[in-house]
Amino acid sequence: MTAILEFVKVSYCYPGQDHFALKELELEVPAAEKVAVIGRNGSGKSTLFLHCNGLHQPTSGEVLFAGQGLDYDRRALRSLRQHIGIVFQNPDDQLFSASVVQDISFGPLNLGLDEEEVRRRVEQAAAFCEVTELLERPTHALSGGEKARVALAGVLAMDPDVLVADEVMASLDPWVRLRIFDILNRLHEQGKTILLATHDLDTVTHWATFVVVIQQGAVVFSGEPDALLADKPLLEKTGLGAIWHQPVS
Amino acid sequence: MHVIDRYAYASRIREVDPAYKVGLATVTLLLCLILNEPFVGILAIIWMFFLAVKVAGLPADVFGRVLLAEFTFLALTTVGVALSVTAKDPTAINMWAVKLGPLWFSSSPEALNLAFALLSRALGGTAAMNFLAMTTPLVDLLDFFRRLHIPGLLIDIMTVMYRFVFVLLESLETMYVAQKSRLGYRSFYRGMVSAGLLASRLFIDTYRRAQRLQTAMEARSYDGEFRVLPTTYKQSRQLVFSGVLMVSTLLLVWGIV
Repeated sequence: MTAILEFVKVSYCYPGQDHFALKELELEVPAAEKVAVIGRNGSGKSTLFLHCNGLHQPTSGEVLFAGQGLDYDRRALRSLRQHIGIVFQNPDDQLFSASVVQDISFGPLNLGLDEEEVRRRVEQAAAFCEVTELLERPTHALSGGEKARVALAGVLAMDPDVLVADEVMASLDPWVRLRIFDILNRLHEQGKTILLATHDLDTVTHWATFVVVIQQGAVVFSGEPDALLADKPLLEKTGLGAIWHQPVS
Repeated sequence: MHVIDRYAYASRIREVDPAYKVGLATVTLLLCLILNEPFVGILAIIWMFFLAVKVAGLPADVFGRVLLAEFTFLALTTVGVALSVTAKDPTAINMWAVKLGPLWFSSSPEALNLAFALLSRALGGTAAMNFLAMTTPLVDLLDFFRRLHIPGLLIDIMTVMYRFVFVLLESLETMYVAQKSRLGYRSFYRGMVSAGLLASRLFIDTYRRAQRLQTAMEARSYDGEFRVLPTTYKQSRQLVFSGVLMVSTLLLVWGIV
């Protein structure tokens, strides 16, 4: 198992707050896995995700991508953000343009690619996320599920190796969820690493190949889903067993 | 806003290069203003109506109703030009006068002509702007401004503002309904309190959204400048042809009168 992302004793405190959102967090994210990140609201999932591509810089500790410690200067961040894409929970926070094409083209143009290549990337990402027929529509005329897929296409157009998705399924209907899982699975088949924050047991047991449990800013478990389900003391300690009604053997 | 936006996207000349549409509308507006001739204004209205309905495929009643609403506003403002109100008998200066109570309402052919000229001139220009607004989505307009090398910062701000009009409208509606369902507007006083809370909440919401947008854009390597693909547009000979024809008829009418 090679780790694509490593967190070494990462602590983070939001400016103006006195408690740490992450407390000496230790984690190795294996490459080319489907990783489910679970944890209660406010446990630090989003904060952890914002550390993945240098949007937050740890107060102390270090984040490593492919064995290299992150560098926080402009140029290094640009190359890092090409490799690690983040999709946010609320697509309205991410879609800045009223034109779907323009929004998807934003990332690849920021990478400094030429127009022809960007057009190719936009078409490819749109086809991959099944939003080709939405390209000419205004953003505000899209449904929630359509916005979610457009937001995903905007990140995939940058062709990242790691896709970090922060609870993107939260307000979507099961039909749209299946389509998004289908997109994530196809990405995984291409050898990409996917991190998905979720509250859904089915996602952990049926989709994920690796699970991370976060509690109060620290990783309390990381490993295969079966190992989590077999760890009776941990399930009891975190309260997950009681909530999930899992036959714990 | 919603309605005009919807027609702009549905317009048959939506994919035509905005330069044509902006050019056509601006030339019409300028001709109405410069030539300063009532019949030019009226002819411009007719042309714009024709272009919007026949060429752009807008429903006639929609274009008509928007124009009618603007007509009402303009007519109200020109009343002041057409009518004079005095306390003394004005028949010495003005031709027609009516006495209502202590006041005289009077007018003259000159005043009426001036009012008519103002109205038709303004309405002609307004019709041209309506044509532009109802056939060109704002995104295309901004794309055109970018080609004109208008400072990128202004265009970026307009891009985000336009997008957020819809986002914030949605969040305003949601909050308003939530307040209403808890009887926030049951009395005038409670209504004022609730509206105040709503406004302050929306302000904070806007601020937080701006921060989240910034984070999300940085995640896609944003570095202070919006780079987006320029849209490829279609050319329209029909529009150029109608434009030339329209300008000639406007100039012709001006020459004759």
